[in-house]
Amino acid sequence: MSMAAFTVPSVAHAPSDRNSLDEKISVRDLDFFYGDHRALKSINVPLYRGKVTAFIGPSGCGKSTLLRVLNRMYDLYPNQRATGEVLLDGENILDPAQDLNLLRARIGMVFQKPTPFPMTIYENIAFGLRLYEKLPKSELDDRVKHALERAALWNEVKDKLGANGQSLSGGQQQRLCIARTVAVKPEVILFDEPCSALDPISTAKIEELIDELKEDYTITIVTHNMQQAARVSDFTAFMYLGELVEYGDTTKMFTSPSDRRTQDYITGRFG
Amino acid sequence: MALTTSPLYAARRRKNAITMGLAFLATAFGLLWLVLILANLLWEGFSGLSLAVFTQMTPPPGSDGGLLNPILGSLVMTTLAVLIGTPLGVLAGTYMAEYGRYDRVTMVVRFVNDILLSAPSIVIGLFIYEIMVAQVGHFSAWAGALALAVIVVPVVVRTTEDMLVLVPDTLREAAASIGLPRVLMITNVAYRAARAGMLTGVLLAVARISGETAPLLFTALNNQFWSLNMNAPMASLPAVIFQFALSPYKEWQKLAWTGALIITLAVLTLSIVARLIASKSKSQ
Amino acid sequence: MQPAGRGPVVDVALPDRRVGVQTAVDRARVLQKLKLNDAGFRYLTRGAAIAVLVILSGIIFSLIWGSSLALSKFGFGFLVTEAWNPVTEQFGAISPIYGTIVTSIIAMLIAVPVGLFIAVFLTELCPMWLRRPVGIAIELLAGIPSIIYGIWGLFVFAPFLQQYIQPFLIAVFGPIPGLSTIFAGPPYGIGMLTAGLILAIMVLPFITSISRDVFEAVPPVLKEAAYGLGCTTWEVVRYVVLPYTRVGVIGGMMLGLGRALGETMAVTFVIGNAHRISASILAPGTTISATIANEFTEAVEEIYTSSLIALGLILFVITFIVLAAARLMLARLNRRVGA
Repeated sequence: MSMAAFTVPSVAHAPSDRNSLDEKISVRDLDFFYGDHRALKSINVPLYRGKVTAFIGPSGCGKSTLLRVLNRMYDLYPNQRATGEVLLDGENILDPAQDLNLLRARIGMVFQKPTPFPMTIYENIAFGLRLYEKLPKSELDDRVKHALERAALWNEVKDKLGANGQSLSGGQQQRLCIARTVAVKPEVILFDEPCSALDPISTAKIEELIDELKEDYTITIVTHNMQQAARVSDFTAFMYLGELVEYGDTTKMFTSPSDRRTQDYITGRFG
Repeated sequence: MALTTSPLYAARRRKNAITMGLAFLATAFGLLWLVLILANLLWEGFSGLSLAVFTQMTPPPGSDGGLLNPILGSLVMTTLAVLIGTPLGVLAGTYMAEYGRYDRVTMVVRFVNDILLSAPSIVIGLFIYEIMVAQVGHFSAWAGALALAVIVVPVVVRTTEDMLVLVPDTLREAAASIGLPRVLMITNVAYRAARAGMLTGVLLAVARISGETAPLLFTALNNQFWSLNMNAPMASLPAVIFQFALSPYKEWQKLAWTGALIITLAVLTLSIVARLIASKSKSQ
Repeated sequence: MQPAGRGPVVDVALPDRRVGVQTAVDRARVLQKLKLNDAGFRYLTRGAAIAVLVILSGIIFSLIWGSSLALSKFGFGFLVTEAWNPVTEQFGAISPIYGTIVTSIIAMLIAVPVGLFIAVFLTELCPMWLRRPVGIAIELLAGIPSIIYGIWGLFVFAPFLQQYIQPFLIAVFGPIPGLSTIFAGPPYGIGMLTAGLILAIMVLPFITSISRDVFEAVPPVLKEAAYGLGCTTWEVVRYVVLPYTRVGVIGGMMLGLGRALGETMAVTFVIGNAHRISASILAPGTTISATIANEFTEAVEEIYTSSLIALGLILFVITFIVLAAARLMLARLNRRVGA
């Protein structure tokens, strides 16, 4: 298998010690184009295993575009292309030979607007599970339950698993989508402004959830809400006009940013 | 104030009143025909409606009878046409909306499909006559069903494509984001989201073909008798109406009106149901 | 050491975080199989899309094939000969072509202005609560099968015209030179005028609903700007709505024309099936589709059948041109509205 052949001298493979940093994904010299428009310019950024990395910046800065490169979602559309390298465990996912379904199963995504499938709550989750494994009914039930528990939704829906996923409230729908993502066992989860359509209470629940999930997953979140970035992330990257302006430890970014533009944005002078 | 009392302004207002009056009259005129035709149809059709219509065969000239064999024939051929035409139409529409949305092929197919959608149905009858009836040497219910299927296809292609395009891309992305290959994304997510609209399309196609006469005249022909043989000519309501209405016999003409009423009620019911489904799915 | 993500992974989707047996490699195998399905489905749908093209080319080729005998025997003369005689096996298409065109012109002369006015009523005048019901009623009119129009035309409309309208027309236009030939009696009831009127009723809903759709696509801000200048409703329609939607309206008319040209059953009942060219629109005539519908099953000689198929080919070519032009115009409008 071609996958076995790679060697990645530059990425240190992790000792299991969680305190040391291990690059799960490394973005290197990434450019992205919508047709002729260059939407991302030479992005270099690491995403550390077991950490939450937040991308902030004014709208149109390219933060969502970057996220959509990480699971190659842009491949669904014509005239969009990326150059450079995005290494997932040392393997370049921009490689045209990359198996996209496999990649996307490893890198889950939660969207801005909740996207429950038009089927029952149970099916929303069981659907992805059945795809990869033949499971007896009892085990499938277990897995669905567990995924819903991980998404802190089980207690609210356990009596109506047969109801349509779209009948839930917005916050519940978003947690259903998280459960659906978790169920297929990804290694990385991308959150694309997951709370922008939610009320403050649902937002708090999702943030809590992200904090719990980071034990097991590498998490990337795009948000326009700086407080949210400060609350949930370990590392923060500030993007502006397609460029990565500054990247660093979240606390440091929000207390003493080194770039003028970061400071202006964080203090609300534009954005 | 001088402006509003000037002769010019009065002339403009008069012109407006006249044209708007015409618009109103035109609408009344258009609706008048609907009322007239339906009233006539109900009047003539209901007076002939009886149990015998649904239990007896078409009669020989000058005697009483029913429309059982043409009703059955219409049902059989319409059902077959839908069974043949729908899968083809759904698959083609799927390609246009999902796999090939940005293809050249899709553009060409869309154009050609729109032409087929309004092509004269009698030409479709000639086409099936040429490729089937002329080849095997006799008229058949299969040929009739096939001709109707050719009419079903473009209707279903059009609605399938339109409805799938309305499915939000975020739903597709969500399906892709858990690693679903496109085939599952389409069959399990996109179809489910679009099913009400696609069903509407099929119902409209049924409504369209259940009144079609021209393509049946020289494919399924007609049959005075009870027949379920798909390789033989088969009666259909429109063909019987055509034959009976143009005949000099009072009994036949009466049955033609009754048949016309049955078809119209069926078609109107189908289109109203289709509309209800469509508006219900929109409000969801 | 195994590269991360490939060895047994801690299965966080399982309760108590058991070590899952599944690896990325297993998934790759599952997905490999699904990928084959995906490719299969892709080809299947693509094949179906291509089948739509095959149907159209099949229609064209079968018509050319079927008419080759007549076209080779009569040549170009087929298009301009009036004779239609199964006994002497002489066939010419000019009178059905003439009838088709005359009936369609009558239909369009009535349906276009009426349809446009109804669309104006629906978009500008009609109170909101009435728009949907009236709109639906007009569209139901479009759903009524053409054979219903035919039987109604034969038994109700034609006798009515014969008794009241046609004598009136003959009396009024009779003394006027020029018009007297167009409205020359006797009143048969059936004939080209009757067929044209029935066609008008049939295409009216098409023209109405397409015009209404394109009128509704006019950006409200354009209309509001005109109203803001003090324009009357008619002036807004005349100087803003119509110029803005011109291409779409013409496209809609062409679609209606396509219907009228190809319509069979409604016409067959009331046209009279006479293979001759009459200056009077009250006279019986025939159209291409009515000729085929009336005579096809009676035609036993090969040359007769072939001539009828040749008529079908001519009809298809005419409607193809009209419909293609209509679609291109509507597509152009959509691009502009979309941009």
